[in-house]
Amino acid sequence: MNPIIIDGLSFALPLLIIAIGGIFSERSGVTNLALEGLLGFGAFTGGLCFVLITQILPMDSAVAFYLSFLAAALGGCAFSLIHALLCIKLRANQVISGVVINIAAVALTGFLTVQINTLAFAGASNKFLLTTAPRFSVPFLCDIPVLGAFFTKLYPFQPLIVVLAVICWFLLYRSRIGLRIRACGSNPQAVDAAGLSVGRIRLFAVAASGALAGLGGICFAYSISANVSPSIYFGGGFLAIAAMIFGNWKLVPTLLACLVFGFARSAASQLVLLLKMDSSVTDLAMIVPYALVLVLLVFFSRNTRAPKALGEVYDKGQR
Amino acid sequence: MKASRRLEGLLVAGVAVLLALLVISVIILAVGKNPLLVFSSLLQGAGWLPKPKYAGGRGVLTDFMGLLDAMTPMLFAALAVAIAFRAGLFNIGVAGQMLAAGFLATVIVGYSPLTAVLAKPLVLLVGLAVGGALGAFVGFLKARFNIHEVVSTIMLNYIVLYITSFFIKSYYIDPVSRQSRAISSEARLTLMNVDLGGLSSRLPLCFLLAVALAVLFYLLLARTRLGFEIRAVGKSRKAAQYSGINARRTIVLSMALSGCSAGLAGVTYYLGCFNSILPAELSNIGFDSIAVALLANSNPLGSILSSLLITTLTYGSNYMSSTAGISEYIASLMIGVVLLFSACGGFFQYLLGRRRKALELDKEATGGAGIGTGGSSGSSNPGAGAGTGDSPGSEYDQDAKAAGQP
Repeated sequence: MNPIIIDGLSFALPLLIIAIGGIFSERSGVTNLALEGLLGFGAFTGGLCFVLITQILPMDSAVAFYLSFLAAALGGCAFSLIHALLCIKLRANQVISGVVINIAAVALTGFLTVQINTLAFAGASNKFLLTTAPRFSVPFLCDIPVLGAFFTKLYPFQPLIVVLAVICWFLLYRSRIGLRIRACGSNPQAVDAAGLSVGRIRLFAVAASGALAGLGGICFAYSISANVSPSIYFGGGFLAIAAMIFGNWKLVPTLLACLVFGFARSAASQLVLLLKMDSSVTDLAMIVPYALVLVLLVFFSRNTRAPKALGEVYDKGQR
Repeated sequence: MKASRRLEGLLVAGVAVLLALLVISVIILAVGKNPLLVFSSLLQGAGWLPKPKYAGGRGVLTDFMGLLDAMTPMLFAALAVAIAFRAGLFNIGVAGQMLAAGFLATVIVGYSPLTAVLAKPLVLLVGLAVGGALGAFVGFLKARFNIHEVVSTIMLNYIVLYITSFFIKSYYIDPVSRQSRAISSEARLTLMNVDLGGLSSRLPLCFLLAVALAVLFYLLLARTRLGFEIRAVGKSRKAAQYSGINARRTIVLSMALSGCSAGLAGVTYYLGCFNSILPAELSNIGFDSIAVALLANSNPLGSILSSLLITTLTYGSNYMSSTAGISEYIASLMIGVVLLFSACGGFFQYLLGRRRKALELDKEATGGAGIGTGGSSGSSNPGAGAGTGDSPGSEYDQDAKAAGQP
């Protein structure tokens, strides 16, 4: 039971922060299929930062570890500006723009990783090696039966994500900017009439989604493979999108959806271990979260209410 | 008007490609290489220019036939993306549909002792059926349960990926190559080592079929009732529904057509260009085809040109990286940049369209009796809002208009 909760949580929380990024962008009316590319680019800049600090400056890897999160958020944010430029300023189709950014991110990070590795570290490797993140357990709390697993073997980024998620919830539902973001997604004309710039608010929302997705990307890089390689594009961004659609573009239901995915994933792989099945069956177990998404979507999609102005270019002249 | 707008689309695509080449040249310069050298070795690798030297029995034609062989699945895949796009659907599941079709065709026909006359058509049929079924399933989920096709196709991609990987690793693995066992040459859709004027080369049997399918899709969209319905649903599902079109049926049908084409891409890729399947890997073609379709603005005929271009980039990159000493990633980077610029293409067309409208308004204002003649082609005949759909770019104009619709 415990490994299911521990592994599930370490997968669900990065997924959640990416999904929250998606909520920011989509509630402001900008479809964001680019999350996959943004998380990859964030992981790339984070990994680059880590490698540079540890290998060039003689510095403690703990400092590099925390700085890499900052770098990942900045990188994701910077890359998301392309999406913002295409969708807000250049009136591109938002779905196309998202897919384009995914493809561009895969190509660009692959190219840059190889180039940087050959230039700076004399080896044409396509990955940045990270350290395995230190894990800790909360004293006393981790001794509670069952529930204690939620406080056992945590990655340092897990509490960080929880704090960020709470801040995001407050921003989105209790602050002025959150109200404006949500208004942009349902009635941009009203926002405009109130004398605010729809474009600027959407820009902020997309940039925030990029930062959050980048952060989620580096978390995945630390927790899943301890390196940044093309395998970072394993579909996490799309799972986050699915979680967001499940959660009806609301934060708390999205959290539940992320937990369901995380636990389904870890439960399936634990089951394979438990039944002592062949390791090739792991492939079949990997299907579980994806199949579960499809099945659950069958039941929940009918009630989904996408933000009203989602995916539309805001045109002042239209009513 | 229509012809000039089509020309405009070509122009925009051309500008996007040129801008992309410019950006890539700068990147190549920054890496410290000569872009002209890199581009010419790219063209040499793709069989457009002769290489300085060839191994015995090979020549430019060998490379060029190889290019056509690689282009065949790309064109099928691009058509799959394009036809779904015209129905307003975004099929990013092409890679998964390809893999499913290729896997089942390999297992059913590739390992059977059938003779070529039976095996080759059967491979195509299996590809059509499997791809079509997967596509129709996605269309059904969209039409019946309102599941966004982007999410469902991606989920299906991973499901197909892991299932096929499991079966290949468990039952069909070749212990040496770590891929699925090679299929019989009887079932393979590409003939190997064919003697063409003294040069040994590949002969892709389905290349003409792919071109024919492009023409067929073009005619279907432009000339038939189903094509009109697909375009109408693509423009506005609600408006199509109100005018009496069964939108759900159209969505399922267009996704099925898209899946069929993706299935053909799968069999020509896994049982043509290659003769085995790498487990746990989706082909790049599935995603590059989005670039191809986008560059062609979802025009089936335009897809022929753009798939030739994109395949040149991917196919030539191997030789380029070995002779010019530059990472192969530059090719996929090129595709990415081409895509970025062609995504902006809509903006250029929006600007051009606005200028044209302003000019027409001017004409109307000065000419007086401009009603009926001076209007845009969209208003001059009923239903032409969708009718101009085969001129590239109208999709983007429509997006701007859709902003105000309920």
